Amino acid sequence: MKKIKLIEIASARSGDKNDVCNIGLMARSPEFYAILKEKVTAEKVKEHFKDLIKGPIIRYEWEAIESLNFMCNQALDGGASRSLRMDTLGKNFSSHLLRMEVEIEN
Amino acid sequence: MNSKSIKIAGAQGFYGDSPLAAIQIAKEKGADYLVIDSLAELTLSILQKDRLKDETLGYARDIESMAYTLFPIAFKNGLKIVTNSGGLNPEIAAKKVAALLEKQGIKGIKIAIITGDNLLPQLQEMQQSGLALENIDNGKPFSSSTFEITHANVYTGAHSIAEALDKGADLILAGRVADPCLTLGILIHHFKWRLTPSPSPLGEGSSDLSQNDLDRLASGIAVGHLLECGGQASGGNSYAEWPMDYSISNLGYPIAEVFEDGTAVFSKLESQGGKVSRNTIREQLIYEIHDPANYITPDVIVDFTGVKIEELSTNKVQFSGIKGKPRPEKLKLSIGQMEGYMSDQFFFFSWPYAYEKAIRFIETVKEIWATLPVKIERSEFSLVGINGIHGAAAPLPPKETLDEINEIGVRLAIKHNDLRTGKLCMQSVICLGLNGPPGLIGIPGWGKTDRIMLSLWPTLIPREWVKEKVEIIES
Repeated sequence: MKKIKLIEIASARSGDKNDVCNIGLMARSPEFYAILKEKVTAEKVKEHFKDLIKGPIIRYEWEAIESLNFMCNQALDGGASRSLRMDTLGKNFSSHLLRMEVEIEN
Repeated sequence: MNSKSIKIAGAQGFYGDSPLAAIQIAKEKGADYLVIDSLAELTLSILQKDRLKDETLGYARDIESMAYTLFPIAFKNGLKIVTNSGGLNPEIAAKKVAALLEKQGIKGIKIAIITGDNLLPQLQEMQQSGLALENIDNGKPFSSSTFEITHANVYTGAHSIAEALDKGADLILAGRVADPCLTLGILIHHFKWRLTPSPSPLGEGSSDLSQNDLDRLASGIAVGHLLECGGQASGGNSYAEWPMDYSISNLGYPIAEVFEDGTAVFSKLESQGGKVSRNTIREQLIYEIHDPANYITPDVIVDFTGVKIEELSTNKVQFSGIKGKPRPEKLKLSIGQMEGYMSDQFFFFSWPYAYEKAIRFIETVKEIWATLPVKIERSEFSLVGINGIHGAAAPLPPKETLDEINEIGVRLAIKHNDLRTGKLCMQSVICLGLNGPPGLIGIPGWGKTDRIMLSLWPTLIPREWVKEKVEIIES
């Protein structure tokens, strides 16, 4: 087994709807999609984001585009118009998710 | 029915976006329609801030410059323009654009004004009728909110856009028409796709639409969704295409050639930069989507899960496989509230001890603020270069790295209810330039102490409260 960062096997894009941030995680190939599906659970993502995401995360599988979509609740400090953060829109939630490590077969 | 395909370009992705890609598309007649989506979720709050200062504002002001740069060439070459740039004030926006066109001697342009999304005047009546206006996010009734209300706009559908085009409009200035419905309205007008008007004469919940009708409407929404963020569908903001080995200084914006069955081919102008690939379409498709099987819009619920995205050739992508479900019974209403103010300021430190100095600075700021006769509602302290973007989730670099780090920025941000608090707080820490950790840098003119904080209260309302109106004026 070896550890890799998600950026090696996926790309991502995130955006806002009020206090909800969605992070689309797109596998770079169908084989990598199988890894994402197995390893990148909603619980793992919640742990990776620590206090940044306060509410529950729902994970949607999207086979047709080899992607997972994470809908993160209470993630944006009350929403872009109320937020005191620099990344008010959660555009960089994508970046942070790509830093997450998973263990894969050698 | 019109069986000929039609080309629609995403001309702008937000209020303030560059018009240059759209100008080039208009020059080359690269599309039949330009869709300009100016209203991100937050934009009405920004426009409301303008309107609080001047009652004749409240629309996306870049249409004033586009009336000189983009509109003349677009109209000359036969392109029509559909936009929600009217924001909170479509009538005034239309009159201003008409006057600017007349100044240039451009006459006979039909400008459609779409109103009816503003429900502020009815808000009290709605509550009195027994609507609790529960917050979608937390379920609380609107009566529990104590803030001053600034605006209340409902997301409306494609019907009014199609109606305005049926009436011969060259330019449509709408208010809070939902982003992808701008595109759907064009397709309904062109292909005569069937859409149930809102509210439905058959009664909500029943519909005379076939599965084919629903699939076409859903495809139209999907195309609109892919166009509504401009360059984000054609290689901008792309991790999928990083290191983005194409020009981005003149990024071409996405153009969809849409067919009668709702399928589309996405491309961009050859003369411009950017890229259209399966990756760029895929990453825009997933942007700001929650459940991909149930994307809710005023006109149809979209199921994206069976989507097919295939590269036909360089910068040409075939898009199909979208399914529709009957529209939701209710519409989304976004109520703006005045929550107070926010202030922020940046300071910087360099090697040596940059990290320790920044930490000491933040501790000192907290001590000073604790002595002030003010109430700070919320605060955020961050280290730019360490955790400015990701906060508590950012891993702290090892001590050796922190000890040698070149520079660190400190950002202070606070929420407060009166203007005085912001000024006093930020003024009170300037003395640390002489009294604080060595080498403090503050930049005059940076930071603000009077930013109005408007928040949104999203809720759902029955359709019968919404009466849209299409009016045409001519330059």
